[in-house]
Amino acid sequence: MQIRYRRVYMLLAAGALAGVLLKPIIYGGEQAPANPAQSQTSPEFTPAHRSFADAVRDFFGFHPTPVQPIAYTHKVHLANGMECANCHNGAENSPVAGIPSVKLCMMCHQAVATDKPEIKKMAALYARNEDIPWQRVYDYSPTAHVKFNHAPHIRAQVECSTCHGDMRQRTVAVRTVNMNMGFCVNCHKLRKVSVECITCHY
Amino acid sequence: MKRRNFIKVAAITGATTALDSCGNPEHQLIRFIPEEDLTPGVAEWKPSVCTICPAGCGLMVCVMEGDAEVIRHGQAGLMKMGLAKKLEGNPTHPVNQGKLCPRGQAGLQVTYHPDRLAHPLKRSGPRGSGQFQEISWDEAIRELVSRLAALRSTNQAASLAFLTKPLSGQRRDLIEKFLQAFGAPPGISFEPFDETVLRRANELSFDRPQMPTFDLARANYVMVFGADFLGTWNSPVAQSVAYGVMRQGRAGSRGKFVMVEPRMSQTGANADEWIPAPMGAEGILALGIAHVILNEKLRPSGEAARAGQLVDGWAKGLPDYTPQAVESSTGILPATITRLAREMASHTPGVAIIGGAPLAQTNGLFSALAVNALNALLGNVERPGGLLFTPPLPSNLPAPGGAAPASFAEIRTLVEKAQGLQGLLLYDANPVFACPRSLGVREALEKVPFIASFGNFIDETSVLADLILPDHSPLESWLDHVPESGVPEAVVSLAPPALHPLHNTRAMSDVLLDVACQLGGPLAAALPHRAFEDMLRAAYEGLGGPKKQEPKEAGAAWDKMHAQGGWWSAEVQKPVFPARPVSHRPYANHGPAFDGAEKDYPLHFLPYASPMFLDGSLAHLPWLQETPDPVSTVMWGTSVEMNPRTAGLKGIKQGDLVEVTSQHGSLRAPALISPGIAPDTVAMPVGQGHEHFSRYASGRGANPLAILAPMIEPETGALAWAATRVKISRAGDGRLALFAGGLRQHPQNEGER
Repeated sequence: MQIRYRRVYMLLAAGALAGVLLKPIIYGGEQAPANPAQSQTSPEFTPAHRSFADAVRDFFGFHPTPVQPIAYTHKVHLANGMECANCHNGAENSPVAGIPSVKLCMMCHQAVATDKPEIKKMAALYARNEDIPWQRVYDYSPTAHVKFNHAPHIRAQVECSTCHGDMRQRTVAVRTVNMNMGFCVNCHKLRKVSVECITCHY
Repeated sequence: MKRRNFIKVAAITGATTALDSCGNPEHQLIRFIPEEDLTPGVAEWKPSVCTICPAGCGLMVCVMEGDAEVIRHGQAGLMKMGLAKKLEGNPTHPVNQGKLCPRGQAGLQVTYHPDRLAHPLKRSGPRGSGQFQEISWDEAIRELVSRLAALRSTNQAASLAFLTKPLSGQRRDLIEKFLQAFGAPPGISFEPFDETVLRRANELSFDRPQMPTFDLARANYVMVFGADFLGTWNSPVAQSVAYGVMRQGRAGSRGKFVMVEPRMSQTGANADEWIPAPMGAEGILALGIAHVILNEKLRPSGEAARAGQLVDGWAKGLPDYTPQAVESSTGILPATITRLAREMASHTPGVAIIGGAPLAQTNGLFSALAVNALNALLGNVERPGGLLFTPPLPSNLPAPGGAAPASFAEIRTLVEKAQGLQGLLLYDANPVFACPRSLGVREALEKVPFIASFGNFIDETSVLADLILPDHSPLESWLDHVPESGVPEAVVSLAPPALHPLHNTRAMSDVLLDVACQLGGPLAAALPHRAFEDMLRAAYEGLGGPKKQEPKEAGAAWDKMHAQGGWWSAEVQKPVFPARPVSHRPYANHGPAFDGAEKDYPLHFLPYASPMFLDGSLAHLPWLQETPDPVSTVMWGTSVEMNPRTAGLKGIKQGDLVEVTSQHGSLRAPALISPGIAPDTVAMPVGQGHEHFSRYASGRGANPLAILAPMIEPETGALAWAATRVKISRAGDGRLALFAGGLRQHPQNEGER
């Protein structure tokens, strides 16, 4: 009697666990999360994970491709002569490159390409005083305790494309470079800059 | 499967599913378009003005980009905006010279306080219940305008009162102009620790009705009567900076500091010599010292001029104040008095300072005049290293201090006339908390038919309001302040908003201008400015010298003023020393009178400005709640401080709950046994004991002001808040939160550790 029930519990528990474990493998890769406004790791700097699934995804290094609210194309903008820093203007003097607010987009798009559906979507957001809910593409696992600062890298004349790939070929941003510790350390060694732990992990 | 087990299993499975699906709630919020462009991760330091106390220190605000949860157009969302991360002193500001006190540092929490009012409110429950409903700004202003218009049309404009915290500069000017054009009496600026006595004494002695400034940096000898000048009194940061120079900043000449007070304060703990004089006897001691100086001809008696003539018996060499006579009323040895007099006379320049409890006696004005006369006799007035007065601004702007607010007398009048009041406007003044309960402020205000409050918190007074129009936090407002004291030069602290408003609030000054415009008539004519910024510019731009004709430089002076955080004159202005003859009879000492017979109420009760909460207006800031008192290390509560002998007589031990009873009420608080207090005195910090003042202060500790007797300094009408007698008894076991074990740094016995 007791044993039979225990089996039932174990089966149910195992099922629940498997569901959680397999979910990122099943859905994580290419398919979007149900709610596009959900990021995969907690934005807070905390060693804890938001959920068990997050921890699993983080452990296996899954980085699901976020679905952006607007199908922005880097290719078209760069081909028209714009520079990275025109929009990501924090890169030169701040830790964060930054994503521009819709105000900056609308400076041009009030007049340019106003008939395109994606631009119309953006104009509608702007009219509602809402910013574009861009999804984060590049981040580090909170358990890695990495602090990255753009400004010194730009000062050292590291090309944006070194870490972010050639955006002239891209529409929306995707993780083209696997930014793990090996990637960072390789470059630091090549350029003969500090590889002390404390340089990045603090 | 049993139902119970099924629920267990379902709960486990459900929890895992929930864990997986629960997103970060922030990510469900929409993102608003930011109102400003900031570089992420880069700090910008913007000037501002500290409004925590009337000293008017200059601030630098560290502003960085961050995400704030805000409500815009009725919708909750996230917005990237400049957020204040840290406040520091403005290094170029002449008052605080880059320094800032802990209260100023904690001012940051005013902006981000969880209980700060975020939108206009209208009372929905019975008065005082704290039930309010959210309304729009249009509704709120319409309501205020219609109420004021009704008063004016029924010729009841004179029955409107405006009660504010001490304000200076253009905000006060705006309120005065508003009330004058409306036809209402002048606004009442409410200071719980009423400084009217000292302003009045300085007016009588030196023709300057304002708080004094001390050139401590150049002084060689400082004798202080009761004033906590390094902690809470007057302009504490300016005084602390100068004190540091006096004690350690001049090679080879360290000034001496003597403190006279019945309870060792934070300031007294720094003194070279600490003299416990009985309450109300400070003036007698000052005259005893003056007697020795006159008698031994250490200084010419004519030196005191007008300040001396105000003291009875001065011309005859103060025959009633021989060291022996002073000993009989103060218990201070004649040899000590003679020694102090000789030291003071030979170590010029120096200064005698009086403030705080000695002035809160029924003979407060006499004590202040006695110390003024001593200063004048020693040649300390308007001299380097002595007593100075901050000069007025070099234009027709209101003088610092100006018409001295006789605040307690005015509050008493307000309470007496409350029946006839038709409307009351409140701005961050809390007399219900800070006046003795026996005065009946709450009962009086409850009868006023219409109360509107501009404060950004609900406190014991604004909980009575019918309409709340919350102000911006100081960091979000245009601020100006004309320091009354603390600097030898004329200063305007002035700054634009350092932050965009977080909530749906409006600056009190802009609301008043808007209301004036809507009311029209003489009000609109008296206040033609559409925004407070324009009013400030019109008032202060001229200070930057003659207006440049070239359009390119037209605004240069103004831009410089708000980029550096104010205006200050480069050269120290020559003070105008009064030449007018004395117009008052000499003042004699009519002993301090106390409420309560000595037989029944054997102890003096000394409430004092808490180093953290001042008069209680800062008790809502958790950083200050958790900061230990610098001397006793009490935190998160109140304590009754008493001498071990006093406690021993009643069988009271450290931390025991003590009942303190005056003729006007009683309170309970844990005992703090301290050797640094006279055996006939018990002391309590003011600031705790709030009923309605945010989640951090409500229901915490006890309020000593509530049990005070309404004793009055008869010459000025100021509240004699240190003239109440009490009795104490043990009421049970209590809890006292001390940091690091309390007063004793090292255990006396090994076993006590």
